[in-house]
Amino acid sequence: MRLRYWSLPALAVALTTLGVWAGVPSGTRADPNGEPHDDAKGGHAHVPAPLEYADRHVPLSAWTDAATIARGKEIYTTKCAVCHGDAGDGKGPAGVALPLKPPDLRDKSGIAEMRDNYWFWRVSEGGQAEPFKSKGSAMPPWKGELSVEDRWAVMAYQHTFSGHNGPHVPSEHPESVRVGRDIYAMACLMCHGADGKGDGSVGGTLSPRRAPQPRDFTSNAFKLRSTPSGQLPSTADLYRTVSEGIRAAGGPLTFGLRGYRIMPSFRHMPEEQRLEVIEYVKSLNPKFWEQREIKTVAIPPAPPATPERIARGKQLYADAECLACHGATGRGDGPSAPTLKDQSGLRIAATDLRQPARFKNGARPEDLYRTLVTGLAGTPMPSYGDSLGPDQAWDLVYYVLSLSGDGRRAAEAR
Amino acid sequence: MKKLALTMALLFLGSPAAAVADEAPISGTVKAVDAGAQTLTLNVTAKGKTREVVVHMKPGAKVVKFARATEPGKSGFVEQEVSLGDLKPGWIVSATTKHEGDKEVADAVKVVMEK
Repeated sequence: MRLRYWSLPALAVALTTLGVWAGVPSGTRADPNGEPHDDAKGGHAHVPAPLEYADRHVPLSAWTDAATIARGKEIYTTKCAVCHGDAGDGKGPAGVALPLKPPDLRDKSGIAEMRDNYWFWRVSEGGQAEPFKSKGSAMPPWKGELSVEDRWAVMAYQHTFSGHNGPHVPSEHPESVRVGRDIYAMACLMCHGADGKGDGSVGGTLSPRRAPQPRDFTSNAFKLRSTPSGQLPSTADLYRTVSEGIRAAGGPLTFGLRGYRIMPSFRHMPEEQRLEVIEYVKSLNPKFWEQREIKTVAIPPAPPATPERIARGKQLYADAECLACHGATGRGDGPSAPTLKDQSGLRIAATDLRQPARFKNGARPEDLYRTLVTGLAGTPMPSYGDSLGPDQAWDLVYYVLSLSGDGRRAAEAR
Repeated sequence: MKKLALTMALLFLGSPAAAVADEAPISGTVKAVDAGAQTLTLNVTAKGKTREVVVHMKPGAKVVKFARATEPGKSGFVEQEVSLGDLKPGWIVSATTKHEGDKEVADAVKVVMEK
């Protein structure tokens, strides 16, 4: 009797649920898995651009330049509007029936969350890139048909639909780096400070009154780069640093850290989160958007380590006056070592070359090569990119590695 | 009680929700066209998997592409009907299909991009 009493409403709820479920068009009905469609904003989730696109920032002037916008309109009208709509509402005649609908470019908040490098990636690779490919995006890749400048122009025109008039950069749209900012607050702020100036409450205690201190992200001196001397690092450089951390002789608070890292490795952090926090860090320095092109130093394939090469490297070590700081045996006790200071006037030690596990920029042969040709900005370690040829740089790399057992093993592994 | 349940079930089956439940859009790249058999083979990617879907054209089904209106004073796009045989491998198309037995049947195919 009791069962009968509530079975009627239960049946009604069950049928209503069934009706609602069936009323929502399933994804690609032909999909054997019955995948649901993702027409909502989630289908256009603004995931971080992959590393190969992370440095493809749009020049600031492109967003507001009338000629660029006019060129973009011309291209958009002929190539994009059929799906995205003349009004940018995503309701072009070919777009309305797509499983993953084109986004509404008039959506101010959606556009504000989109970073320029993400946008450029999407226009370039279209639906061929994940996660959009898996969602069934029909967006064609335009990198083969449109030049970089034309893709910027299309983006600049699309940007006008949102009603925003300035350049599309994080300083105008803090929402675009919100995720990274939250990760920064949890993982980086204590050392690097709230404004990224390297003045966090804990940072200074890592090695009091001595270099290295936490990086000031607002300055242009980044030590660990694959870019030529005087330039900002690439996003891949920042990613490598975040992933591997920074080894050093350490200070009072680094005693317990494996490998004497003065900055911990964040390898355990999901890749997407590492990219998000890097985008936030970049947003602290507008120069990342002002530099037109990132050029990285090419590292030729490592040649075999031979006794002849090490002997030549030893001679170069003396000729290039490495021993003035690093000492005749590489212990970091050269005659100039006691006087060394970094750009902020703090005492800095010459690296003990017999301890590759503490090399800040990594201890693989290619890491040493990169350090030699780019230098370590803000420290007394200069760039030898202009004075050493590739073969000479390898000679020196192998000589430095020959100063320790670990180094010799790393060299022999090549 | 039984009568009530039966009535509700019949109401559900006759509802518009049930009517559209089996209809869904797909998009993909044209792999092959068989104008004689009135079929279109598409490479469709969804949920990380790419697979071939053979779309059967319903009798009288339209294949359209879109072109800019050329008439003075008109803007926007106009539909241009083309034949199934005009579709070329590599083109991106969308179709609204229904399950009919074990077939995907379309009454309209739209060209998204010609390549």
